[in-house]
Amino acid sequence: MSERPFVLATPFHVRAAALNRDNAWAVRNGFTLSAAYDDAGDEALAARQRVVLADISWRWRLAVEGGRAVEFLSRLLTRDPAKLEPGQALKALWLGDKGGVRGACALARYGRESFRVVSAAEDETWIFRAAAAFGLAPAPVADEGGLAIVGPYARATLAAAGLDADLEPLGFRKLFWRGLDVTLSRWGEHGGYEIWCQSDDGLAVWDRLMRAGGDFGIQAAGLAAMDLLDIEGGVARPGRDYLLAREAFAASPSPVALGLERLVDDGWKGFNGREGWLRSRLTEKRRLAGIVFEGETPAPFTPLLREGSAIGHALSSAYSPAMRRAVALAQVDISAIAPGTVLSLTLPPGRDLPELRTAQVRVADLPFLKPPDPIAG
Amino acid sequence: MSARAFDAVVVGAGVGGLTAACYLARSGRKVLLAEARNRLGGRCESIALGEGFTAPLGAHELHALDPRVARELKLARHGLKFVVRGMALAGLGHGGRHALIVRDVRDTVRNIASLSRADADAWPAFHAELFALARALRPRWWEARPPKPLARRHQEVFEALRHVSAAAWLDSRFESDVLKATLAFDATVAGYSPYEPGSALLLVWRAAQEMCGLQGVSAWPMGGPAALAAALADAAKAQGVEIRTGAAVEHVLMQDEAAAGVALASGESIAAPLVFSSLSRRATLGRLAPAGACGFETLAALAHEPVTGEARIVLALKSLPPFNGMAVPATARFVLAERLESQAAAWSAAHAGRLPDELTLEFVIPTAAEASLAPHGQHVASVLVRPVPAAMSAAMKTQLTARVTAALDAQMSGLAGSVASAETFTPAELAARYGHPGNAVDIHSNWNQRIMTTIPGLYLCGAEPVPAPSGRAGRIAAALALGGGK
Repeated sequence: MSERPFVLATPFHVRAAALNRDNAWAVRNGFTLSAAYDDAGDEALAARQRVVLADISWRWRLAVEGGRAVEFLSRLLTRDPAKLEPGQALKALWLGDKGGVRGACALARYGRESFRVVSAAEDETWIFRAAAAFGLAPAPVADEGGLAIVGPYARATLAAAGLDADLEPLGFRKLFWRGLDVTLSRWGEHGGYEIWCQSDDGLAVWDRLMRAGGDFGIQAAGLAAMDLLDIEGGVARPGRDYLLAREAFAASPSPVALGLERLVDDGWKGFNGREGWLRSRLTEKRRLAGIVFEGETPAPFTPLLREGSAIGHALSSAYSPAMRRAVALAQVDISAIAPGTVLSLTLPPGRDLPELRTAQVRVADLPFLKPPDPIAG
Repeated sequence: MSARAFDAVVVGAGVGGLTAACYLARSGRKVLLAEARNRLGGRCESIALGEGFTAPLGAHELHALDPRVARELKLARHGLKFVVRGMALAGLGHGGRHALIVRDVRDTVRNIASLSRADADAWPAFHAELFALARALRPRWWEARPPKPLARRHQEVFEALRHVSAAAWLDSRFESDVLKATLAFDATVAGYSPYEPGSALLLVWRAAQEMCGLQGVSAWPMGGPAALAAALADAAKAQGVEIRTGAAVEHVLMQDEAAAGVALASGESIAAPLVFSSLSRRATLGRLAPAGACGFETLAALAHEPVTGEARIVLALKSLPPFNGMAVPATARFVLAERLESQAAAWSAAHAGRLPDELTLEFVIPTAAEASLAPHGQHVASVLVRPVPAAMSAAMKTQLTARVTAALDAQMSGLAGSVASAETFTPAELAARYGHPGNAVDIHSNWNQRIMTTIPGLYLCGAEPVPAPSGRAGRIAAALALGGGK
């Protein structure tokens, strides 16, 4: 990995700092980002009701270019990238040799021999080494910022800003936007758009979008609000909900246990770790599920009990203002994933209630809520 | 795909490849043996060295030929005949203080006594322990099946030796520098230092081998190691193996993530459900198999290039001066290594890319066993220097030739003057002939792990626990592949 400062500011940092009233910051993938600008719940609700702007420059992006790029990516990813036309993208996983999930990404085909990987977590050393076997030297994309525009008025905001937002989900397009080169895409998990721009153009892009979204009540949303959308959308995130396979021959986490099996193409046979994937499909007993609470949210990784014995554990939880209840992601045994299954868990002691309390929770289908449709407005 | 389909394709006609081909054909399989060079035998090769001189290159004695391969393939009937069955091991010390180790324990004791009385006393116990442990461990290295548990006393020693260096083991038994350094030379294969934990087991592996019915010896076949390759090739032809020379395999063909044949450099494709590679694991999975097909992590684990290697020097001698000091038989295998410490220093120097200040080397005099390899009264010497840097400059090569000649001259006064011609082969030059010695020592795995790859249908028939012409890997690879098909 190239040497870089301990924490980096994104191209939008100046604007974020001006808006971040409580000085609530968080670090993700080495970038300093607003955890919340004001109230995370309000920001999440705004993403459901109006439109929000979120800094996604922390996402790891990798440019893979060269004559053997298709061959390499075919071997790497759980879907066949050869089927992509330039201008299309797909979502897939990459697995370790024994089938453990090393990462999930959107793969966009920029040209015949030019691709871009966008992912929540980096895996540079491993991917660089694998690519070297194909004579490729992928390059991390560093001088580019990204903003997500999420919410029912996302498209209207882009239109007001003079951007042609006529894109299918997973589509992307390079645009020349009144003097700025930008890429508009729909790769995100939150159902909106992303706009990628040169670092130097970051502030201009931010300002244009904020101005254009003014009529729709646009506001900036921090990491906490976007994480909440993740939970509502049933998306487990590496680092928060699970650890990616980083040991040499790890078989876990399996795609099935993370609710990511839809990202593996059964007809695609040539990817790394396929044997492990086939095995895990038969042997993996855990599944990703949702749980809903009547009261407080538990600590992450609290065991979930059925008749006194643990059959899984809760992952991230949050109070969802859109649903008006506390929800959590969970990993539970396959025997307990039927919606409505009642489980119990222990809540952490509070200041007023020093003794441990147990609470009843119900298993629910994922996603709790669909991502906001960006075109509804 | 071509119309002519085979049951198996064997890549590379070294001893491993030839043996695998023989066994596959013996079980009625239709086998194609594809060899990139225009000759068979891999490392078992003889080269002409000026007018009338023939010298072995690659292997210059045999110490690991699988007796079952020799017997089952009737190699004697195909022309394999041993001239010297048990070559003595002679460690040459300064001032004629030599350590002459022969098969007879009492003779050895007598020979060592001049170096050290204590070592002479310690030899019978060491020899008995080494050979008993080696015999106990044989099934582990000889059999395809997972071995039966060892007897407890052997298990304890075995567990201990897994983590003991050859130097530490020898230091605990002997005091004579020459004796220890001589014995330790066999623990320096494939980039090992005698100080590396676990290297003691390499001595046990060597002692577990059997040549001509004798345990732990080197032997010289009539015609040199090349004669072994010739006998195997003869056996393969008799079994109906189709042998193609000049047929470089470009890559392994895959179908549904399993090996399905090979593509030749000529553009021809050959379909076969079984593919055997006598190349190293690294070359096979990294170069022959489609990139990444073996798994990225597996590939990465194989990526390390060896930084040290061995060099070979063959000398044509107008005469053979006698050895200084104590009499040693000219048919011996000679080791020139003064002290264990200098071997460690040599290892460090080679790793740093320098020629060691004190070279450690092994040499044989093939003409002592077989006079016909040189014109009447003249001789051939074959020297193996290790360790040397894997990347040797031209200057280093010249320097190495001169220093080896000088080192031999110090043991045989006048030798330098009798050199008619000398040819030196750097690790890179040997690799150009025989491929990179990518197989590291893999003495703890079982045969399944050594021979199978992560690609179904692709087997490594040259994956010996310690690199040496043996045929064992070829024999077991064929058995595993055919047994697995049932």
